[in-house]
Amino acid sequence: MKSLLLGNEAIAYGVLAAGVAVAASYPGTPATEILETLERFKDRFVTWATNEKTAFELAYGAAVAGARSLVSMKHVGLNVAADPLHSSAYTGVEGGLLIAVADDPWMHSSQNEQDSRWYGLQSYIPVLEPSDPAEAYTMAKEGLSLSERLRHPVLLRSVTRVSHVRAPVEVEPPAPPRWGSFRRDPERLCLVPANARRRRAELVEKWRRVEETAAGYVWTEGEGDVVVVAAGVAYTYVKEALRRLRTEAKVVKLGMSVPVPPKVADLVGQSAVVVEEGDPVVEMQLRALGVRTAGKLDGFFPRYGELDVGRVAAGLAKALGIAYKPPTPPRPPMEPPPRPPALCPGCPHMGTFYVLKIATAGLNPVWSGDIGCYSLGVNMEQQDVITHMGSSLGLGLGIAVASRRFVVATVGDSTFFHSSLPQLVNLISSSVPILVVVMDNSYTAMTGGQPSPSRVTPVEKLTEALGIPTFVIDPARIKESVEAVKRAVEVVKQGRPAVVVSKRPCTLVALRRARAAGVEVPKYWVDVDKCVGCSLCYGLLRCSAIAPRGDRKAYIDPALCTGCGMCAEVCPTGAIKGERERWLEIWRQA
Amino acid sequence: MATSVVFVGVGGQGVVTLARWVGEAALSAGYDVRIAEIHGVSQRGGSVEVHLRFGEVYAAVVEEGGADYVVALEALEALRAYRYLKEGGLLVVNRRVIQPPGRWFNVEEVVEAIKRSGARSCVVPCFDVALELGSPVYENAVMLGILARLLGLPQPPGLDGRNREAFQRGFNLGASCRL
Repeated sequence: MKSLLLGNEAIAYGVLAAGVAVAASYPGTPATEILETLERFKDRFVTWATNEKTAFELAYGAAVAGARSLVSMKHVGLNVAADPLHSSAYTGVEGGLLIAVADDPWMHSSQNEQDSRWYGLQSYIPVLEPSDPAEAYTMAKEGLSLSERLRHPVLLRSVTRVSHVRAPVEVEPPAPPRWGSFRRDPERLCLVPANARRRRAELVEKWRRVEETAAGYVWTEGEGDVVVVAAGVAYTYVKEALRRLRTEAKVVKLGMSVPVPPKVADLVGQSAVVVEEGDPVVEMQLRALGVRTAGKLDGFFPRYGELDVGRVAAGLAKALGIAYKPPTPPRPPMEPPPRPPALCPGCPHMGTFYVLKIATAGLNPVWSGDIGCYSLGVNMEQQDVITHMGSSLGLGLGIAVASRRFVVATVGDSTFFHSSLPQLVNLISSSVPILVVVMDNSYTAMTGGQPSPSRVTPVEKLTEALGIPTFVIDPARIKESVEAVKRAVEVVKQGRPAVVVSKRPCTLVALRRARAAGVEVPKYWVDVDKCVGCSLCYGLLRCSAIAPRGDRKAYIDPALCTGCGMCAEVCPTGAIKGERERWLEIWRQA
Repeated sequence: MATSVVFVGVGGQGVVTLARWVGEAALSAGYDVRIAEIHGVSQRGGSVEVHLRFGEVYAAVVEEGGADYVVALEALEALRAYRYLKEGGLLVVNRRVIQPPGRWFNVEEVVEAIKRSGARSCVVPCFDVALELGSPVYENAVMLGILARLLGLPQPPGLDGRNREAFQRGFNLGASCRL
């Protein structure tokens, strides 16, 4: 029976059908659901790793030992794993190793828009590129076997509109996991220069065989003088765009976009329109094969953002000289108000930011931020620089050294373990006085609440062991927290780094637990007679459950209030009322 | 032929679930289906948008000016998704406003603007019906019933308890939504 599966779920079921035994990942949109789906199968080793490099190494090691394994991540995560990625092509693998990477064109939830297929070209690792969830299933399944057959890692490149599209997929039952056994082979597996040089030569040789394999992933359909080459999700847009333009064409679909096998040049003939999502990776390979192309290189299709039927139809029309008028979008009768992304009502980070603002008043700090829910602090003017996972401590250190400003580096607990630990050691050994704030909500909350290492390794134990003054606060308790952070600020002012660990579990996880346990969450309300419209609750604390009424007095939406009571603590007139103590205690355990 | 529907609302309202229900109903009626979900920061209170296409479809995303239906679980979000409406398309709007930061909106003023727009529209009380059923969480199931009527789709498999009741209430409401 066919069921509506997300592309990511389909990838998971694909590797299950191929007998995957080991899988590791670090969560990241749009790739997270691959491992979330695999987690349900307890007869395999499935784990969230501290970062993409550790995840890659775990799966790579398992594959070296002969097990069928998968590592998944989002595109920017592949940068983190780039070091072992390149080595894995040199050593090859014994069992299958599938590297599932989800790109995010138009950056729905990413800091950049990179095309993972370049990594395939650079590291000599073939790239499979499915066009929809059903194909994602097949390619994941076949990709794992292909990897084992080639004894070489295989990269499966998805994009948002494959990973996060639901479509009917026919799924076979999972095959038993295929574990391995390690065979010593230091000449292959120890990449000391003498060995690595031999492997490099073999790798280039192996690439010819991979090209022959790639020829098996070329499908042709339709007839016509016009040839359109499409890879991955672009194929779906091409099919609909041709229908819209009422044009016949020969469509050459590439299921493997790296390498493009030389055979394709014979199929295509002298010229083709090339449609692909991301960079002109296929187009450049085709040009290198001597094919004249119309694609992204000459601007027929945009080199940023996602494709869609309209953009592909417009590009095809231009390339083929067909008249085409795109539909005009209607204008709304009234301009919709912005609904900028905001921290959830009751989010512990909301309290942390408020506390930091009050405790550092007058210091005009540089806010060095990081990737996670707390990136939304950018809307509270409390994030000045956010570039990548681990940027807060790393760049913060440099900014402090260069500018002698007071730097507050904010990082979540999951990100702290992902890429900040070595930086913290660096910070201590270089003795730069910055205030490090670990916003510890016990989960990788931005991607939906995967457990974070902080649940077993308390951040404060670690920083204390490293000898850095550490202050633990509960951000729901605003007044106490301000006093503690002021003490931490004093340490930094005296020339030493200090850490604040702000601990309270993610509100959404706590609410889910409360609902399951039948615990009633308190609702806060405003005594209108006492409210003076000072705006501290909605303007400075910025709780998104609180809105200003016409008279500037506060209104708390009972459907949104999560009973954290932070608003009552910041209210100077005692106008906000509610009872939270029991709930805060239950929440703390979440 | 393909039918394109854009679903919008505010985080926490069950927009993704609503689209999936409709998709499952369409699948059980024998159509091919594509649903494009956007997952990002899992914050509540932000705009949510999900695209659904069924029939003879390859691509999942609906382009601006290409939706046969825009379905809004929240009225301000209906304005934001207005650009997706195809000429002659239908806007189905839940009578509910979730206040955005900064300015207070009255439900009536937003509904009036939508009715004045000239687009075919239909304003339905999913929120009120859900409250009658005991909780705002049923408003998406009420909307599901309305859409089942409008799109000629069956009740999706696996809908149970109060959600079934909500579906039925919506299905009855759907009759008044036909234009």
